[in-house]
Formats: sequence, structure tokens, C-alpha cells
Amino acid sequence: MSPSFGRGAMTNSWQDMGNSQCFLIAGSNCAENHPISMKWINRARAKGAKMIVVDPRFTRTAAQADVYAQIRPGTDIAYLGAMINYYIENKLYDEFYVLNFTNALLKVSKDYKFEDGLFSGFNPETKKYDYSTWAYQLDADNKPIKATSLDDPDCVFQKLKEHFSRYTFDVAAEISGIPADKIKLIADTFAENRPGSILYALGMTQHTTAVQGIRCYAIIQLLLGNIGKAGGGVQALRGEPNVQGSTDMANLIANLPGYLPYPTNAEVTLHDYAVRYGAVQHKPLVALLKAWFGKNATAENDYGYGWLPKNDPTNMPTQVEFFNWMDKGQFKMLFNWGSNSTVSIPDRKMVLRGLSKLEMLVVADVFEIETAQFWREPGVDPKSIQTEVIFLPAAFVYEKAGSMTNSSRLVQWKEKALEPLNGCWPDLDMIDRIFIKMRELLAGSTDPKDEPILKANWDYDDGHGEASPLKVLQELNGYNDNTGQLTASLGEYLNAPIGTVSTGCWIYAGVTPPGKNLADRRNNTDPTGLGLHQEYAYAWPGNIRVLYNRASCDANGQPVDPERKLIWWDAASGTWTGNDNPDVADKTKGPDTPEGKMAFRMTPEGVGRLFAASYTSGVPTSPVPADSIAAIPTRGAGMTVDGPLPEFYEPIESPTTNKLHPNVQNNPCAKIVSTEFGDPEEYPYVLTTYGVCEHFCAGGITRNIPYLNEIMPEPFAEISKNLAKKIGVKDGDKVEISSMRGKVVVRALVTDRLQTLNVNGKETETIGMPWSWGFASLNPGPSTNTVTMAALDPGAGTPEYKCCLVNARRA
Amino acid sequence: MTKRMVFVDTSLCTGCKACSVACKAWNDLPAEKNQLITSYQAQASTTHNTWTYISMHEKYENGKMEWLMFKHQCYHCAEPSCMKACPAEAIYQTDSGYTIIDQNKCIGCGYCVANCPWGVPKTDPELKKTFKCTGCIDRVENGLLPACVATCQPGALHFGEPEEMKQIAEVRLAEVKKDFPKAQLYGDKAMGGTTYLYLLKEEPAFYGLPENPTTSASLVVWKDWVQPYGIWLIPIALGASAVSFVTTRIINSMSKSKGGDIHG
Repeated sequence: MSPSFGRGAMTNSWQDMGNSQCFLIAGSNCAENHPISMKWINRARAKGAKMIVVDPRFTRTAAQADVYAQIRPGTDIAYLGAMINYYIENKLYDEFYVLNFTNALLKVSKDYKFEDGLFSGFNPETKKYDYSTWAYQLDADNKPIKATSLDDPDCVFQKLKEHFSRYTFDVAAEISGIPADKIKLIADTFAENRPGSILYALGMTQHTTAVQGIRCYAIIQLLLGNIGKAGGGVQALRGEPNVQGSTDMANLIANLPGYLPYPTNAEVTLHDYAVRYGAVQHKPLVALLKAWFGKNATAENDYGYGWLPKNDPTNMPTQVEFFNWMDKGQFKMLFNWGSNSTVSIPDRKMVLRGLSKLEMLVVADVFEIETAQFWREPGVDPKSIQTEVIFLPAAFVYEKAGSMTNSSRLVQWKEKALEPLNGCWPDLDMIDRIFIKMRELLAGSTDPKDEPILKANWDYDDGHGEASPLKVLQELNGYNDNTGQLTASLGEYLNAPIGTVSTGCWIYAGVTPPGKNLADRRNNTDPTGLGLHQEYAYAWPGNIRVLYNRASCDANGQPVDPERKLIWWDAASGTWTGNDNPDVADKTKGPDTPEGKMAFRMTPEGVGRLFAASYTSGVPTSPVPADSIAAIPTRGAGMTVDGPLPEFYEPIESPTTNKLHPNVQNNPCAKIVSTEFGDPEEYPYVLTTYGVCEHFCAGGITRNIPYLNEIMPEPFAEISKNLAKKIGVKDGDKVEISSMRGKVVVRALVTDRLQTLNVNGKETETIGMPWSWGFASLNPGPSTNTVTMAALDPGAGTPEYKCCLVNARRA
Repeated sequence: MTKRMVFVDTSLCTGCKACSVACKAWNDLPAEKNQLITSYQAQASTTHNTWTYISMHEKYENGKMEWLMFKHQCYHCAEPSCMKACPAEAIYQTDSGYTIIDQNKCIGCGYCVANCPWGVPKTDPELKKTFKCTGCIDRVENGLLPACVATCQPGALHFGEPEEMKQIAEVRLAEVKKDFPKAQLYGDKAMGGTTYLYLLKEEPAFYGLPENPTTSASLVVWKDWVQPYGIWLIPIALGASAVSFVTTRIINSMSKSKGGDIHG
């Protein structure tokens, strides 16, 4: 979403779903995995909203749908491409919106090409693209040249039209297995009922084409004018109460907190970083360094920039690849918090190999999860493993205070309900104690690599010898040197001169102004009835509840939807105002100014990006004077590494040939980690994996809760009646599911909820398996990730859990 | 407390089973060891430790899939046959409409189990006591929602005054009927009217439910006639059986070739 809209976050909120006229739920099984969503979806349905569900299985969400389509796993881009094509061909797009709030009119470089499955700039050796031809035609001021009409052959809109013209309903039907008339029904239903909201989760992201699938959603919503509006948007449903929070705190390899680009070894000095990324990233990085190194961060020492380890862009391993690096001896020690990799990593035998090579493994968890006792797995010889394993019993969620940030970007504070039992500690206290002890041990060291630890600003003591979570949130909020106080608002941070404010995560600036904790607000009033709840907790950035809400207004700055008014331009007071906090660059700049027209202020073009062009706005002075780097007025675009437009590629293991370009079967940039792959002759069925309502992720907690084991006692394989007949299996029999990587035996559920699909003229079977079980806990069961494969999306690094090839036979 | 009602809108139930967990948590009931019976369902019936559960029903017709959910628990009938059947007078009704087993009086004889048209109450063989949903009477009479209603996220469970519940039910029925012509309310006409009123998308038999739940005829005869008027009935019964003895012999001798089932 960041390359499309400028921010990598869900655009609307849970409550806002109540405002929708239509839901396209594809890649999400929200009734099972986000049960709270149904509360708001059902409120919208009570007012007549339609619900479309596209899924490889008829799920408990599908059971609620008005329109359901069974899709072959991994082929979403085919039918979504057909929807885009249909909207363009039949002029079903919102013309005012497309002209004013997207890059449709901007002219694309004449060097940009797409031929036989590849975009221009591909290097087959590195399996990477050079983005330089995915550019705009620029004027003398470095601004993209704007076409006068959507018919200009060079403009983004025409490139989009040409690219997706190959995606007819019939082609999409052959690829995806969804009948052509059903795809048309989906397209019509979603276009006729606006505002429409798209919900997705891991069903869309766990593919080697993950990012491009979400790009399709962004393009559809920009064409239909559904972004920035109440009841519209693209909703990334986060799988855990604080996933948005952990992403904000930089759990992505190429980020620092607040989505700052992580410095690479090419940016040796702060000056290099500022030149590369512009003032827009330079200022928050300085504020971050001030938060981390406190008084030790000064203008003279580049605010401690040299203490930050730098990334090597040629080697950026994500979590899955870590285990291969462990296996190669790259790591001596692993701290494992909140993750049960032995169950959750695809092709999981590499986890065992990796952990076995460590000198020490520390696992902090509520229960003794599989990862904490990986050497005890049946079939493993503990004598052959030298890894020392230390288990730290952790406090449960109700035994600790702190903030959590949910899918709605809502930072919510909670207090501790109970004292931790039996000597368990909150994670924060463990980290605090380990750090303090480490610093004690390193005291007096002159080794440069110890400097960051010795110079760090580390003071979270609550006065009673325990770490204070509030002090952490206040560090994220940041302090203003001039007042010596906590920064009072996002505006105060933005207006302060560089180097005079600190913030541990600039998008959280304003959450704890002096004497207050806005995350702790519980005023539930909602005077507009639009679910904006402005006085409840705090949504980043700047308490905006619907991102890009400027796009909900017309050319005069007035709401286009009188029923769902978010913001408007108040000419009398000369400000943007409204029911939500206006998402505008400057609240005093009216709709007739360039700033006041801008609906997507976080992209360098200021508009939504149908075409993810490589572009950096502003004109850097050349050469950049060393003493005025703060003034570099540039902003770079978020990029999609595998193409400026989405393209359909088959999953890495696929039962068929790519219908669009047989010579480029898979995503050419995909990162392949597994070493064993099967072919459809031997492994003819498509396996898709998922969670169930009754268990949470790798089951580390839920498989130890008797009530949940009672209602979902065991893993299973769901198969169609056709397949059951073919392999001689009855409902309830045990069945062996095998791939090139391994095999498991589970109970078979024979059901009509999975049907045999017709794909490229051939009958294709889908098998569904939940993945939440492991060999330990109160309720052990085989781990599905024995079978899955590690092939990753090149941009996000998500593994293709959602499709691989398997065989099935009666066990 | 005046009468209360729970409206179970099965058309909105997503089968998440949170109601079953919430029930066990509030009532402090232990978990049971299960295995999957059919797609996603592991609880087969109410037990003395499981007072509410969801059954799941699949139907595939003309290329259209349906997956319907049904929440089972005590219906809290206006004319409960369990109460009628109980020889220990352990079962009573509250003004709010709930049917409650007084555990101090219950002797675990199982008459209520046999006589509930839905087979809801279950006897604990060790404790020799019978258990079932209490309607969360302890919560309701203290101003709280029943545990299952309080936890239901999709809004499939509603709690309130009977008139209000019936109104909501009628509105939902009209809406659901547009797509499901067999949709109907269930419980309002059974057993004098149940406290748990249902909206079904299909006919009751699809969910394995009795179409017209009634108190068994033998229980009515026994409890409403034999017990109150027992003294008078003994000579009449004796006379009747003498007549029966004679007539049966005559009928048998007349139609020896005829056989088949005779049901009550």
C-alpha cells in the first residue's frame, strides 16, 4: 500500500466498516480469524450492504456472503486484472477522482516496456529490476509532465489500459477457475455499490506475488474513487492485536521505526543519508537518534549516526532466510520473543537445522513452546545438538501494562489486571534487565562495537526497580529541547527545527503530550454516527481515523457524500475542518492551492499511484552543501521491486502453465529458499494452508487452553468429494499429505465446501489444511509446515504458504 | 423480574463457538476431550459439562453451497416437560421465564433427560445430578447479559423483553426470507413458547430438530390424569385392561396375517 498511497497502513478502521455499501473479502477469512469484523460488517449489511467473498475454500466467512467464488490458490491477480480491465473498458471508474487524485494523467517514460511477462530493466543474473525506465517524463523543474486527457498514449491511464487489456473475463476464468460470469458479477456488484471496502489478510500476502496482489486492490479502489472515504478503503487485517504496532516499530528489514528507510552501507555519513532520502527522512532520523542516544547525540557527532549498524543491500535476509544463515554458522545466539518458528516457518526442517547450529538459544514465552524444546521433537537425537537453550517464562497479556496498536492504527493503552504469577516477567522487564547487565559488563570498554551500548539513552526505571511502559511510549512521543517537555502534538514536532526534538517513532508524536496519555482515552461518544470516535485512544498520524480523507471532497473542498461527511474546507475561517482530523499538508491552504488539492501528501506526486513509477520529487542542489543538508526538499516514492504494474505469475509450485506467458512462469524476482520442489505429475494437488478461529497462529498459547482444544481438537485436511472418491477416503479417515519437503498424516474432512475446479481446461483439486499444531503442548498434532515450501515475495519477504503441490493418499 | 427472551438469529451465526467457551468460563465447567465429528464440529451434543454448543450443517444444491449453524442449549419452555417429569420437584420456573434445576433436590433419576423433546439435560453419572443451561439466571437477575449473548460478536444473539425480541425476529425473518423461502421462526409455538426464540434459514428437520416439539403423551396422561386422579382411575384402568385382554385376543385371531409397526 505504501507504493500506492504513501503509507503502509490500513486506510480506514474497524468501526468504519459499518459505513460500507459493499465488501470484497478476498484473502481474508475474517469471520473466523478477525471475529470482531463481523460486528461492523453486519451493521453495514443491516443497512443493505453486499458481501462478496473470494476464497479457495467455502469458509465460515463465505457462509455469510451474498456472492461467493471459489478460486484456485495464487491466481487472484488474474481475476482482479479482469476487473480493472472491465472498469476501464466500460468507463465504470470515477472520472473526477481519477483525474484529480491519481497519477492517471502523468506521462510515462518512452523507455518503459512490458514484453512477454517481463518489464523493462530486468537483470536475469541478479533476478532484479533496474527501475530507471519505470519513470515519468519530467519537465525542467523535475516535475512529471501532465497529459491533457486520459487518451494521451503516453499517460499512466493508457499504460494501465494496455497492460490489463489481456485480462478478459474468459482468460481470468481459465486461470483462476472462477466462471467468467461470476467474475463479472463480482465486478458489477462492487462497482454498483459504493463506497466499497476491500478486506484482506494473509490469504493475499502469503504468495510470491503478494505485493502485486495488494497493488491490484489499490488500483481498483483508486479507479472507483473508494480511497479516503468513509466506508471505502483497503483494509489490511492484522493477525495479532499489535502487529501494526510492531510494524510501526520496524519489524521490516528495510525500515527504522516510523517507516524511515534503514541506512545501507552506501550511506556512510548522515550527510549521505540526507542526500539519498531528503529532508523528509533526514529530520525524523535525527529525532530518532536523539531518542536513542539522548545527550550523546549531538550535531557534532552526526547525532550518533555512526553507531547504527548499516544494511548490506545485497544480503537482506528476512525471518525465513535467517535459519539458512544460522545453518551456515552466521549466528551464535538467538533471542526468540513472541514467535514459534519450529511450527510457523515453511519447510520447517531448516528451522531445526538452523537452531541446532547455535551456541545459545533464549526463548521467552508464556508456555514452553515447540521452539523452546526443538531438540525434543520425535525423531530428533538430542545428543547430536549442542545448542544451550534457556527459557524465560513470560507474563501473559493481562499481567502487564503498555500500548498496543491495532489494524485501525489506534494506539490503545492498557493497565495491568493481575500481578504476574510464579516469577514470570513482562518482556519489557526482561529486555531492560538484560541491557543494564550487558552495559555493566561492557563498562570501560574502548572497543568501537560496544560504543552504541555504552552511549545509549536507557532509562525506563519506574522508581521501584521495574521498567515503566509509559516511559517507553513517552520516548516514542518524544521531547522538545526548547521546552524541556514532552512534545505536545504532531504539529509541534513537524514545526520544530531539526535537531531540537526527539521521537522514537515520529508517527507517534503527540500521543503523550505533557501530563496526558491520549492512548488511554476511553470516551466512546460518536456524535456523527460514522464510527470516528475522535476522543477514544489515539490514531496515528495526528489522530486521523480515515487516511487520505481529503479525497472525500470535491474541487471546492466540500464532501461528495452528504451521508458520510469526513472533512471540508471552511471558507469563513480559512481552514480545513470536519468530523475527522483533516489529512492535508497544511490546514490553512484552500482547495484552490496545490497543497489544498493534494489528497495523498505522502507520495512524491501528491496523488494516488495507479502506476508505481520511480520518482523523487524536488530538486536537490548540486553539489549539496555540507552545512545545509536539512534543506534538501526531496521525497522518494515507495517502490514495488517486481514491476510498476501488477502482473499474474503462477505460484512457484503450480499444477499448470502460465497462460499469459509460458516462458515466464513465475515471478522472475521471487526469492527461493527451499531446495526441493515437486512437479504436478507426482504431486498433482494444490495445498493451501490457514488458521482457524479456535486457534491462534502457531498455537503456542491456544493449544494449551483446554476450552479451545475442546472445540478444535486436531488438524485436518479438507478435500472435495471427487478427490475423496478418487483416493478412496471417507469423511473422518486418516489421510497422508506429502510434498517434496515432507509428509504428515491427519484426519480427512470430505466436504462440498471444496469443489473440483476447471483450470486451463483441466480438472484441478485443492486441499486445505490448518497449520497451528506442533509436537508439544496439551494438544499436540502434526505441523503442516513440514509440507509447505519457502519461496518468498521479493518485496515483502512473505513465504508462499498459500499454495504448494502435494499428493494425498489413504493412511 | 418480568419475562425475558433470547433471540437466536442463526442466519448471522458464524460458528465461532465463542458462546460455548464463554458458557464454560462463566459456569466453571471443565473442557472435554473430543475429536472432529464433521467439518469443524467437535461437540456432538449437550453433556453435563457442555451446556451450549454449535452444530454445523452443509448443503450443496444447484452449485450453491450453504453452511448453516445452530446453537443448542436449553430452550427454557413456558410449559417445560422436564419440570412435569421430575419426580423430585427439583425443577422450577422463574418469573423471568427460566427453567432451573435445584441441585439440592435433584436425584439424578434422568426423567427430565428422557422427557425433553430436544434431549437437552444430561445427568452426571458420578455426581448423580442433572445439569443444563441455567440461562445465566445469576447474571441476568443482576443486570448482566447471559454469557453467550455478551460474547457474540456477529450479533447473532439478542437479549431483552419478549415483545422487543419478537419484533426483531419478524424483521429479520422478512429479510432472510427473500433469499431463503423456507426460513421460519422456531420455538414460539412449541412447548407453550420458548424463552430462546430462533430464526432458521431452513426447516427444522435440516438441523435435526423436531418439527413440532411436544410433551410426550404418556407423560401428560401420567402427570395430568393418573397422578391427580389416580384413586379413581385404578378401577377404571383395571376394567379397561380386562376389556383389552378380551378384544386383543379376538383381533389377533381375526387378522393373523397382518404385521408392521405400531407407534404411539
